[in-house]
Amino acid sequence: MNMFIEQLLNGVAVGAIYALITLGLALVYGVLRILHVAHAAIYTAGAYVGLFVYRATGSIPLATLAAMAVCGVLGILIERAVYSPLLKYPPYVPLISSIAMFLGFQELFRLLAGPYIIAFNARLPLSDAFIGHVRISAPILIIYVTSTLVLIALWLLLYRTEIGLAIRATSQDRAIASTMGMDARSLISLTFFIGSAVAAIAGILVGMHYNQVYPTMGTVPAYKSLALIVVGGLGSLPGAVFASLLLGVLETLLIGYANVPLPRDSLAFIAMIAVLLWRPQGLFGRKGGR
Amino acid sequence: MLLEVRSLEVSYGDIHALHGVSFEVSQGELVSIIGANGAGKSSLLNAIMGITPLAGGSIWYQGKDISALPSHERARLGIRMVPERARVFPILTVYENLLAGGYRRPKNKAFEEKLEWLYSLFPVLAERRTQLAATLSGGEQQMLAIARALIAEPSILLVDEVSMGLMPALVDKVFEVLQQLNRDHGLTILLVEQNASASLRISTRGYVLETGTLVLTGTAAALLADERVRSAYLGI
Repeated sequence: MNMFIEQLLNGVAVGAIYALITLGLALVYGVLRILHVAHAAIYTAGAYVGLFVYRATGSIPLATLAAMAVCGVLGILIERAVYSPLLKYPPYVPLISSIAMFLGFQELFRLLAGPYIIAFNARLPLSDAFIGHVRISAPILIIYVTSTLVLIALWLLLYRTEIGLAIRATSQDRAIASTMGMDARSLISLTFFIGSAVAAIAGILVGMHYNQVYPTMGTVPAYKSLALIVVGGLGSLPGAVFASLLLGVLETLLIGYANVPLPRDSLAFIAMIAVLLWRPQGLFGRKGGR
Repeated sequence: MLLEVRSLEVSYGDIHALHGVSFEVSQGELVSIIGANGAGKSSLLNAIMGITPLAGGSIWYQGKDISALPSHERARLGIRMVPERARVFPILTVYENLLAGGYRRPKNKAFEEKLEWLYSLFPVLAERRTQLAATLSGGEQQMLAIARALIAEPSILLVDEVSMGLMPALVDKVFEVLQQLNRDHGLTILLVEQNASASLRISTRGYVLETGTLVLTGTAAALLADERVRSAYLGI
């Protein structure tokens, strides 16, 4: 039983990481209707920046803030330099450029940091916690605390502030939102900044959790998070979070605990195919609407 | 002159939606532009609001050329629109839609009073304030779109085909509200309408738009009496 609970808790942690990555993708899809594959490159960049700043300063909070800032700006640059000029073309044009950027960034990481795995040995300001006989390891605890805080902060920002209302309005009807005085351009940049900064946090958490950072660490998250926003309902933020947590738990329990003979990473796509067959608007999506 | 449109051109690819349209609206007027489907009415309002690009001509508001301003800056100057088919934000609640209309305006006592006034004007919105706008009927969405525009205390209200798809009783109610706003609150309104008789009846002046060109103008009473208008738009 304890084993089961530990696996469940691990699954929730994995799901929380997926949620942090997928939320950025859902936010970007919301405001631009673009599948932002290069988002996973930003996540990798976050892991690298976090790692190097941590090595230089020994401070995880500082490393996190630096990674968030660098990735946030990187996100805005990608939006301004690549996506905005391509918006007038059919959606596959920005999609192809996004995939190209993703591959390009991976090569860049390889050239800058080397083609090998770098250990992310972080000394965490937490020790393992016990609930009864169930052990929660410090890295998992950090994931819980951080992702809970980030999700609450994002929720407050999006659902309890005027700027969040403007982001949601802009993603539902950009032209009409602008007739209410909402400046779509700066709101879109802000959205990229937020999504990218959150991806940086995810990158650092994953780097610390698995104790490794490497150029292609974004590959699996890139396609898995795409599957997740489809499962959650394109552009739906609660859907993205729910689908991510569900997948994390299912992966861990079915593959890790019940030993179902499937590759772990295949579950996201089985879920995506099932959703497309039976509920194409996604779990939280709206039929025919946005 | 509050609003002045000079030789406006709007085209979509090779199709000319508007060709050399010029007219003006003074402070306190209620002006109707009537025309059939596809005459270019929506293009005209969208161009004034800044969500459709101009191919030529200029738009002047309070004596300034606003042709190059993006729509969010025009909105901040006090131009507000009730779009065709309402276009409320479907997955915001009724209340959030109104808050969106009041974006960047201080949420003080005056705002609360304005909100209460709008709720009294359209009680159904008060009843449904926590519902998603997508769950409202077509008529309720129109009321929400009007309220969403009014909450920003615009100096000119552009109303696009508000009667479309509404039950006749509701059309009367909406036009009554618009007339009230104009007469009792001095709100300047520019209506574009297919429903010529209902809109001209509450208007001070009117224009007739045909395939992208203004072909006729006059006081509302004169247009209502005009032989061409009567046969083409009033079915008399």
